[in-house]
Amino acid sequence: MKGVCNMRKNKFLLIFSILVYIFLFAPLIIIGITAFGGESYIAFPPKSFSVKWFANIFSSETFMNTLKTSMEISLIATIAALILGVPAAYALSRFNFKGKTILKNFFFSPVIVPGIVVGFSLFQFMIIKLKLPIYTSLLIGHTIIIIPYIIRVIGSSLEGFDYAIEEAAMSLGAGKVETFFKVVFPNITSGVIAAFMLAFINSFNNVPVSIFLTGPGISTLPISMMSYVEYNYDPTVSALSVLLMIMTIIVMFIVEKTLGLSYFLK
Amino acid sequence: MELINLKDITVSYDGKNNILENLNLKVEKGQLVSLLGPSGCGKTTTLRVIAGFLEANSGQFIFNNKDYTKIPVHKRNFGLVFQSYALFPHLTVFDNVAFGLKMRKMNKKSIEDNVNRILEAVDMKNFAKRYPKELSGGQRQRVAIARALVIKPNLLLLDEPLSNLDAKLRLKMRVEIRKLQQDFGITTLFVTHDQEECFSISDKVAVMNKGLIEQFDTPENIYSNPATEFVARFVGFENFINLNHIGDKVYEGMGGNKFKVQCERKKGENIKGTIRPEDIQILRENKDENTIEGIVEIRTYLGKSYQYNIKTELGTLVLKETNDVIYKQGDKVKLYLPSNKIILV
Amino acid sequence: MKKKWYYILLVPGLVIILFFLIMPLINTIFPTFMVKGSLSLEQYSRFFKDKYFMQIFHRTFKIALISSFICMILGVPVSYFISRSSKKLRGLLMACTVFPMLTNSVVRAFAWMNILGKNGLINKILMEFNIIDKPYKLLYTESAIVIGSVYLFLPLMIVSMVGVMENIDNDLLEAAESLGANRLKAFFKVVFPLSIPGLIVGTILVFTGTLTAYTTPQLLGGNSNMVLSTLIYQKTMSLGDWNEAAVVSTVMILTTLLVIGIINKLASRLNERGV
Repeated sequence: MKGVCNMRKNKFLLIFSILVYIFLFAPLIIIGITAFGGESYIAFPPKSFSVKWFANIFSSETFMNTLKTSMEISLIATIAALILGVPAAYALSRFNFKGKTILKNFFFSPVIVPGIVVGFSLFQFMIIKLKLPIYTSLLIGHTIIIIPYIIRVIGSSLEGFDYAIEEAAMSLGAGKVETFFKVVFPNITSGVIAAFMLAFINSFNNVPVSIFLTGPGISTLPISMMSYVEYNYDPTVSALSVLLMIMTIIVMFIVEKTLGLSYFLK
Repeated sequence: MELINLKDITVSYDGKNNILENLNLKVEKGQLVSLLGPSGCGKTTTLRVIAGFLEANSGQFIFNNKDYTKIPVHKRNFGLVFQSYALFPHLTVFDNVAFGLKMRKMNKKSIEDNVNRILEAVDMKNFAKRYPKELSGGQRQRVAIARALVIKPNLLLLDEPLSNLDAKLRLKMRVEIRKLQQDFGITTLFVTHDQEECFSISDKVAVMNKGLIEQFDTPENIYSNPATEFVARFVGFENFINLNHIGDKVYEGMGGNKFKVQCERKKGENIKGTIRPEDIQILRENKDENTIEGIVEIRTYLGKSYQYNIKTELGTLVLKETNDVIYKQGDKVKLYLPSNKIILV
Repeated sequence: MKKKWYYILLVPGLVIILFFLIMPLINTIFPTFMVKGSLSLEQYSRFFKDKYFMQIFHRTFKIALISSFICMILGVPVSYFISRSSKKLRGLLMACTVFPMLTNSVVRAFAWMNILGKNGLINKILMEFNIIDKPYKLLYTESAIVIGSVYLFLPLMIVSMVGVMENIDNDLLEAAESLGANRLKAFFKVVFPLSIPGLIVGTILVFTGTLTAYTTPQLLGGNSNMVLSTLIYQKTMSLGDWNEAAVVSTVMILTTLLVIGIINKLASRLNERGV
């Protein structure tokens, strides 16, 4: 062990960092508190306590519909992205072939292109040109933008994977597909779960693509929140924010238990 | 002249277990002193206390008659060579060595002169413009030493500087380090776990075990007169025999076997006698004292000698004999332990 | 016989991306280079000559630049602090950093609407202490967008740098100290130069992110402070000017690629020494 932690920690650094984290958390905490305010407008500090805004969410048809849509879209898109992405990630990690780097960049392209441009292009192409139904377009759009997340997480999961166990399985009589499902997949389940969580939440949170692919009765929750906020000044959105933050915490918890948050250090 | 004086240094990581406990060490100016011991014995901790990276829980570090205990690292002017060399990867060899001089705000011309001179001394002058990643292990080590020496430190601290080198290079470099040390006359503290290495170049050695210095003496004395069982084992003694003091320089082991010894000390219980395998002889003619009988258990061929494990009343004794007569398993032999070769610990 | 069977694993994903991303992009970008059936840059020259567009372009660029700079200044010390912290503290701080990153951008922008608005926290406090007597216009300004963007991307900058800084061997710091450098000097002469790869990645992410973000400028800047992304949306949905929206989109993509290219070139110049 390389010596005791020298307790001569730089005080300036500590205070600076604390201030930065206050900066990062204070706004969210403020929203959280206003969500429980009793006034009909957003008040901080709140003068009274109430949970009516949470009730308001559930009585709002718009929010309930868009919440349902968001959940559906993100769930289906994530599953689709997993089906497309896991084999791709496996192939990219397992094998070495010509043009591998180009292909890798190809799969990451949804991240490289600005979100708003992706949304606009999909709008022009799928809705205007191909006249696809909005729901389908939304689904496809979300699937596309989260494939890179799947590939990156699974790819990272497979890094350093000892593929010799595949050869061992095959020597014992397992075919290729069987080997994958019996020997490779079980060892990356935590990666798959983490990928699912991260892809899901990034799809759920998406605005630039969703905002172009909406139509009558079809919209995602972030979009409906945005519209609401532009004209209403009551704490309903605060309450929604609290719910969304709880969802974030749940996602983070699952990611920590599977892949570990250190994954974010790339 | 005493340069380093560690007084009652105690270091503990968690308040319960002490890495070092009331450690005392005095080092004379101009000497190369080694801290020798197995991993975990506290030698690196001691070095880090002296360097200033570690604050002792209690005790004092007096350097050159000044209390250095609380002085910050960057003010101590000690040269440090790390096990990993810790060369700055983003700087050239020249800039690496010049770093300390730049910190001392030396002018450009002087820096150039000093750096070139030291690079010449370590035979790295042609590598001045290279980067660490382009150098071999031995080359990096020489740069690390140059960087530490160029600042004309009051003390040179080396933390296992040779352990990342291959065997051949290690032999070569330890001599070079000793030569540099003597040429510059710089007091040096050398941490290692390799007994042969430190014995070959040190003026004095502190053998450490579990946070304590078991013996602090010249290599010659430690080799021939180890103070404790631990030190004896470390320098190659085997055959530890439980003995009782029964008379003037006479000791008795199991089964009534008596031995005369020539060394001093050791009163009281729990005395052990020890002797090197090379010093036990298999008797061809008869001797009266310091003998014991035994049966050959195993014979191992070592090239220039045979090693025999002999079962005796005192336990299994290990000895080495040259190849004149070869004994085989089961042979009855009589062993002679010369009184001047038995050490008491 | 050993055909590269595994290509088949890549095909479905490739096809989907090709058909539903690459083709739409080409479909959008290609027509911008055509006028009356032949290749022309006329649409672009019109764009760059238009005062209104250029004002938006400059604004977007300026905001991205300022936000990146602020994120750098805030991010470097914090990342350094995290990288030198104990394992437990590091885990906690990383969790605190990732949490805002995974929180919806609408929520994050909304949070600042609350604070910067006319009835928001800051104005309330200033009025309370009689520093001002009328609410100050903080919301729907460029500064509001900058604050929101920094808020949005600072965690990303921190995450980019912590990994790199963690890999800097503690030995190097100790060596610098033993040679006479105090903590501050050791940071600037050893840690900072070696962290530049992480800083580059972080800066690229923050800059391009801010350049192309939609939610934050929309909610915090409003229609009086348009940026490229809100312009694209307005042109598409409110005005039906799809051609112009396509031009703006292409400009955005090219600007992004150009900036990434320049920063990377700078990086490789600095990186000649290698780490």
